[in-house]
Order: sequence, then structure tokens, then C-alpha cells
Amino acid sequence: MLAQIGSMFTGLALATILYAAGAAFWSTRRDDRRWWKSSRNGVLATAGLLGASVAVLLAAFLDDQFYIRYVMQHSSRDLPLYLKVSAVWGGQNGSLLLWAFLQAVFAAVLASRSSKDPGLLVPWATVFLSLITAFFVAVTFFLSNPFVISQSVPVDGQGLNPLLRHPGMVFHPPALYLGYVGLAVPFALALAALITRRIEEWPRAARRWTLAAWLFLGLGLLLGMRWAYDVLGWGGYWGWDPVENAGLMPWLTATALLHALVMQDQRRGFRWWNVTLALLSFVLVLFGTFTTRSGLIQSVHAFARSNLGPYFLAAMGVTLFGSLALFYSRRSLLSGPTASEDLFSREGMFTLTLILFLTITGSVFVGSVLPTLTEALANQRFEAGPSWFDRVTGPQFAALVLVMGVCPLLGQAVGTVRRLGKRGIAPALGAVLAPVGGAVAGFTRPFSLIGFALVGLAGGTAVAEIVRGVTARSRQGESVPAAIWRLFGRHRRRYGGYLVHAGVILMAVGVIGTRFYPFETEAVLTRGESIDVKEYRLVFEDLEQDVLSDRVTTQALISVYRSGRQLGTLGPKLDEYSSFRQTVAAPAVRAGIREDLYLVLAGWTDEGAQATVKIFINPLASFLWLGGLVFMAGGTIAVWPSTRKARMGEPAARKRRVWSTVGLIVGVVLLALAVWAMWRPAQGTAASASRSEQGGLGLAAGRGSRPRVGEPAPDFSVDLLDGSTLSLSDLRGQVSVINFWSPECQPCEDELPDLQTIWEEYQDKGVAFLGVSFPDLEASTREMVSEFGITYLNGLDAVMPVDYGITGVPETFIIGPQGSVIYVHIGPVTADRLRTELDTLVAE
Amino acid sequence: MTGKMKYIVAGSLIVAAVIYLIVTSTGSTARYFLTIDELKGMGSDAQGRPVTISGAVLGETISYDASQPKVTFTIVNVPGDPREVERGGGLAEVLHDAVTDPDAPRLEVVYEDIKPDLLQHESQAIIRGQLQQDGRFYAEEVLLKCPTRYEEGVPGEPEES
Repeated sequence: MLAQIGSMFTGLALATILYAAGAAFWSTRRDDRRWWKSSRNGVLATAGLLGASVAVLLAAFLDDQFYIRYVMQHSSRDLPLYLKVSAVWGGQNGSLLLWAFLQAVFAAVLASRSSKDPGLLVPWATVFLSLITAFFVAVTFFLSNPFVISQSVPVDGQGLNPLLRHPGMVFHPPALYLGYVGLAVPFALALAALITRRIEEWPRAARRWTLAAWLFLGLGLLLGMRWAYDVLGWGGYWGWDPVENAGLMPWLTATALLHALVMQDQRRGFRWWNVTLALLSFVLVLFGTFTTRSGLIQSVHAFARSNLGPYFLAAMGVTLFGSLALFYSRRSLLSGPTASEDLFSREGMFTLTLILFLTITGSVFVGSVLPTLTEALANQRFEAGPSWFDRVTGPQFAALVLVMGVCPLLGQAVGTVRRLGKRGIAPALGAVLAPVGGAVAGFTRPFSLIGFALVGLAGGTAVAEIVRGVTARSRQGESVPAAIWRLFGRHRRRYGGYLVHAGVILMAVGVIGTRFYPFETEAVLTRGESIDVKEYRLVFEDLEQDVLSDRVTTQALISVYRSGRQLGTLGPKLDEYSSFRQTVAAPAVRAGIREDLYLVLAGWTDEGAQATVKIFINPLASFLWLGGLVFMAGGTIAVWPSTRKARMGEPAARKRRVWSTVGLIVGVVLLALAVWAMWRPAQGTAASASRSEQGGLGLAAGRGSRPRVGEPAPDFSVDLLDGSTLSLSDLRGQVSVINFWSPECQPCEDELPDLQTIWEEYQDKGVAFLGVSFPDLEASTREMVSEFGITYLNGLDAVMPVDYGITGVPETFIIGPQGSVIYVHIGPVTADRLRTELDTLVAE
Repeated sequence: MTGKMKYIVAGSLIVAAVIYLIVTSTGSTARYFLTIDELKGMGSDAQGRPVTISGAVLGETISYDASQPKVTFTIVNVPGDPREVERGGGLAEVLHDAVTDPDAPRLEVVYEDIKPDLLQHESQAIIRGQLQQDGRFYAEEVLLKCPTRYEEGVPGEPEES
């Protein structure tokens, strides 16, 4: 039922969004506000319908509706609540639905704020946003529908991929999607601006959208890095994986777009840059989705190969060529006023920044497609590994940090290097002190010293700008805290921006530490043995094992000492998920300012007397996460709407303000939760003190797994409906057909007549039949048996289905005269199928 | 020089520097991406040369010595060209066909590291390392992917025998 409702909502949403696109287009032709109002309602209705679809899917997850394929594939009964929620976007189908929903919400918010819009900018943008939304809704509805019903009704779902069971994963995909859908807005506005020739108005309209999208995308990337560090257990946080790159590229172009939008708004010019960057950002979002879903690029993160590739490729082609054609037809509009002539002006530096962002994006792009590219060019497949990316992008990022340090020092268009004067003191000091500090702390490699100098320069600039603003205010009689508050409050974008710069600089420190001074080693330790790694002494105390419902977890307890003092106990774990037949190594991290000690349990031997541990020391890694926090704080300040303007408004504006306040509060709560998910102590920091009850380390038998063909069938003892009991030994010497079913399952009901037919055909040929239903369904089972006139044996048992490892009903087993499994059928079986199988057996 | 020219010169300098970086890095740090077939075809030329190969993991060959740690396993040739994979019915099909084909070229891999979480039957392995004289491939890095795991696969489905 839920499935049909959800599917219906999605289908209706496709209709309403197409209507909205048409109505918006019509309103621009006729310049008719009534059509525009109607279009706006259409967009709102779409957002509502898709929201309802997402809610229905969520309800299906919370209520364990495993007859829905997608729910079955991504959830299970024992999953904690927050993971059931995040499982909604744990796979492709659900994440596309979420994407479509968010896209519709963004379109709705844009459309409902159109009263500020002087011309037809927003209606035109709504046309494009609606079409983009329609594409995602159509893909969800026709090609990747999460509400598809499965053939059989499973007892339990397959569970969520163990690697995704992390609080960071709850927020990482939605944050990325918010960024992706957000980037569609500046793109739609840019196209609208070209059509309506309001080329100077659109940057102002697009600025906050771009900022918000960029912020969410950044948060998504940060959460992904944290997840990699905390879960994947390879000691790193960024592997230049094609999927990571797919998220990074639009973020880079969005960063460039942010800068260019400010420049166009303040000093005109930059028209070409802005429309191109808006287009590029959106196309890169599509490209990322295309590569991760088409199977074209090999990646550990990619979704399973799916049939969506060609559709996304087509969408990219239409977007790219359609937009370029529009750019060409409006080229006179784009040529506009040119930027300042002086390369060493603020504008010149901005242009350099934009070029650098583009070359970095281009480099990452080339690296991602290098195998395909080199095959086309040289007929040899070359592959770019992390060292390729480090080598190519490293110098470019360094140049970017340099510009970041120099740029704010230059006055507006007329400033030159010579006028730097006093403002250059702090950056120069930073550029000298940072490498000296680094060298004192033991980081002495030449390239890392250069890195520290650049970081010091840029950091000095960012800090000096903030200090200058504060002192200027406090000189006018404000207290320092009040000065800071007002400074950031009144000039949110500017000083939020400096804070973002400071965050990026802190992260750069982390990158320098972890990239230039990586350290890893392995050790095999016997219980009680210790090993010295750098200045740490690690003592392997014990190995503990716990059997949980879904996994067996083994934890090594390792005491960490430094210069004779115990720092604590780390507990790296190995989780074995029986239903996934997958082992996940959960690292334990002791984070410090200077370095992180990062332990991974590789395995154990000898009943746990010996453990193999991988030891990483990641210098300055904490700066990454600290920088991430500062980055998010700065971004939030920059995106925070100014309240002063709204205060003057009439009732309508006040109403809108209430809504934007609600939106803001929701946003901030989500942000805070995401930050908590990301920066809460890494797992395994404090090892659990509770000892396992099991004592020994022999693996306890988990849930039964389905016997394979040829294996002996598990013994059973079933209470039959007539009151007697039947066990496996009673069936020895004959071929038995055992059918697991439930009166509540439609496919089971459908196959009952077939089973009865076959039973009647074969009962005289030495074939026994047994139906097994569940004890709590006794009444309905009896009812069904008499209704369908079933004459073969039927019983009720809760243990047997588990021992036979069935994943759902119906399932049918054929067991040979010697008690071994001969045939297994999952899902409804037909009379023909059974006849074929039984004929070969009976003939023998 | 006019302002515009300055920008063009500065821009092209940056772009040229980046292209230089890309080309030299491709020469020095990018590796050949080969299939097992191609690696075997190179004969003794392949020995000691850092390459990246891909193949399907043969589950029954995985052996792990946690005390070293060291994993050895055998991979089976799969086509490297995405189009060929597509023609073969997609990655999952191709991987399945590979491991069930007794005639497909195989390669023994030695990886002196922790057994990766996803190393299992029919997963796709992308391995950086080099072929040694003993005919085994010594891996430095192993990337794995199970294409069917979370979308199509029904775990516990009996294997056809």
C-alpha cells in the first residue's frame, strides 16, 4: 500500500512540475502574473508531493516494509533508528528521490521570493529549475523508482552496508545533495539573465544561493573526509578517488563563482566569468552523478553500475550545448565593461584566483579521466594515482594560498604592490614565523617549509584584517567583544570570508603535516608485549570479543605510553558482519595537536594471544578538522541574512521573515548535528571496559545460513496442524518438498494451488510435502489451509526458518532421501519448475 | 603591453605551467593500466615495472596470514575497456563470467598488508604493484569493489552447482 502511495506521489509530482515549467514559460511570453502565480503553485505542489514521497519512503523504512525492494536492500529489523532514517538515502533510488525533492524545494523557495524581482528573472529561472527538477523526478519515477515491490516478502532486510553505519554518513549525502541542487539555482538565474538581458542584476540574486550551495557542498566534502578517516581505516582522509573528485570539482568552480559574483556586483566586469562558472558548476554536478553511476570510472565509493549513465550524459549534452548556444547569441551582452588593466590590482589578483581555480579543476578532471584520455590519445591506458594528483595540484594549491595572502592587501582596483606599506607587516611576519615554528616542531623538509611560509603569509593577512577591523571599532569606544560582534554582524560576507580563509589555511597546515610526514608501520604483538613507535610505547593488553545481533566484534586493548606516562587505552576493532560476510576494521584514534596516533587491528592468531596492528602517525591531522570547523563557522556567518533590511518590511515581509527564521533554525540545528557527527571523538578512543561474557575466543555460531545444495539439511522438529510433531528423520527415505510460507504474503498465496497440484501428482511416487508457517499466525494459517483445500502436511515453527537461513517467504527446499539439500528456490515456485526437479529425482 | 594582453600572457603562463605539470607527472607517476592478458603478453618486459592491473578475485584462493600480515590471492582477467564490459552485460556479469572461466588468464597476487575489507569472491580488484621474477604480482595498493553487493545481490543465494 505504502509503495503505491509513494509511487503515485512521485508520478503526480512529475505532472505538476512539468505544468509549472509550462506555466512559467507562458507567463514570460504573456507577461501575465496569473500564469506566474499558477506556476508558483505548481512548484510548491511539486515540493509538497515529493516531500510526501520521501515521508512515505521514510515510513516504509521505519515500519520495516521489506516487501519494498529498496527497503529490503538497505535496511533490517535490528538497525538503530537513526540508521533507518539515513538508509532512505543509502542507495541510488532513494538518494535520487531525495535529490529531486531538494531540487523542488529550492525551486519553490526561489519562486516564492519573486516579489523582490523587478523583471522576469525569477519566472525564467523557474522554467529552467522546473525542467531540471522534472529530469530528476522522471529519472526517479521511470528508471530508479524506490517503491518497486519485490517478488517475495523477506522476513528481514539485507541491512545497511556496514561501511555506511556512521553518524557522519547520516549527514554527508544530504549535505552534498543540498550543495548539488543549490548550484542549479545560479545556473538557472544566469540563463534567465541572458534571456531577459538583466546581466547586471543576476549576481546579486544568485549570491546567497551560491554561498549556501557552496557551504553545504563543503560540509559534505568535510564529512566525507572525516568518515574516510574514522571508518575506512587506511589512515588517510582523501584518496583522490574519482567519486571524491566528482564532489570536489563543482566545489572548486563554485568557490570561483562566489568570488566572481562579488566582483561583478562591486565593479562590473566579470560577466563572461560568471555565466561560464555557473554553467561549469552545474555541468560538473551532472558529470559527477554520471561518472559515479555509469560504471565508467572505477571507484570504491561508486554506486553499483546502473542504467542511468546515458540519460545523464544526454542531460549534460543538452545543458552544455544549449547554454553555449545561448551564450553565443548574447555575446554582445557578455562582452560588457572590462576589468581593471593592472594585473597587480585586486581585480587582477581575483582574475588570477579564478584562473587557478579553473586550472585545478581542469587538472582534477584530467586525472579522473586519464585512463580513458590516454587510451584515446596514445592507445595506452595510464592511470593517475594519489601521487599524480599531489604532484599536479600541490603547486597550484600553493599558488592559491599565496594569492589568498596577497589579494586582501591590495586596495581596490587602483591599489598596487608599492602601496602595501604597513599592511604588509603582519603577513611578512607570518611568512617568517610559521616556517620557523614548523622547523622548531621538527618539520624541516624544504617543501613543507615553503608551505608553512605561504600558510603564514595568508594566515597573517586574514588575522591582520580581522584585528584591524576590531581595533578600528574599539578605538571609537567599543569594547573588544562588542567590536568583534558588530564587525562580524555588520559585514558578514567580508569578515565571514576572512574566517573561511583562516579555516582553509588551518586545513592547509593539516595537509602539509599529513602529506609530507606520513608514517606507518605494522607490528605483531603477543599478549603483554610492547613496542616502541617513535616516542610512543604501545602495550598489547588483551583481545576481547563480543557477539552482537548483527556482527561479531573483536577489539584489541592497547595501552599507550609516552615518556613513561600512560596516555590511555586504544581499542581498534574488527567487526565481522555475518549477513554481509564482510569485515570492517574500525580504527582507534588518539588525536593530539601535534599528531594523531591511529591504530588499526589487522587480525589476530593463536586464539587471540597474538594480534597484528597497523600503526599510523598523522602529524597535524587535528588542524584539518579544526580548520573545517572554522571554515563552517565563517561560511555560516557569511550566508546569514541581514536582519536590518527585513525589519523595515510590511506584514508580508514579516511573515516571510518568520519563515526564513524557521528555515534558519532548521539549518543551524542540522549544521550543529552534522558538526557533532563529524567532530565527536573518533571511535575507539576509549576502549570499552566491559569484558565479554563469552570468555574464550571461539567464534559463536551466528544466525543460521541457508544450507547449500549438496549439504545436509538442518534437523528440525515442527508442530503440525493436526497436533503431532514431525522431524527430519521422519522424512528419511523419501524425497521431501519443504515450503516456507506465511498466510500474509501474496506470492505465497499464489503458489499454494500449484503446490497442492504437484502434491496430488507425486504423493504416490514417494514424495513428501511439508508447509511451514509461523506460530504467531496459527489462526490465519489454518484458515488458508482449509480455504485452499490443502491436503499435504502443514506445521508451525519459528526456529526452522532461522536454521534454514531463509531470507523471506516463500522459499522452497527439496531434500533427498539421504537428508541432503537437492534444490532451493527463493520466491514463488511454479508447478512446472517443481515437476522438472521432481521428475529427475523420482526417476532415479 | 595593454591590460588585456597582460592577462592573456599571465593566464597562458599558468596554463602552460599546469600542462607541463600534467605531462611530466603522467610520465613519472602515472602507471600503465593493464589487464592480466596484456601483462602476460609483455613477457619478461613486464617484470619490475610499476603498473596497475585489474581483475576479478577468485574467492577460494584468498589466504591471509595475519601474523605477517600478508594476503595472497589469485585474480582472473577481465576486459579493461568499459565498452567491452558493457557488451559483456555489465561489470557484475563480466566478473562472474571471469571467475567461472577455467581458461581465462590468471595471476597470483601477493599483498603484504592487512586483508582489505572488501576482498572477496568476484569482487573487482584494481591493484598497483609490479610483477616479479617468480611470476607473482607484488601489490603495493589494492582497491576493491563489489558491484553487485548492495544493489542487485540477494545474499545467501545458493550458488549454482
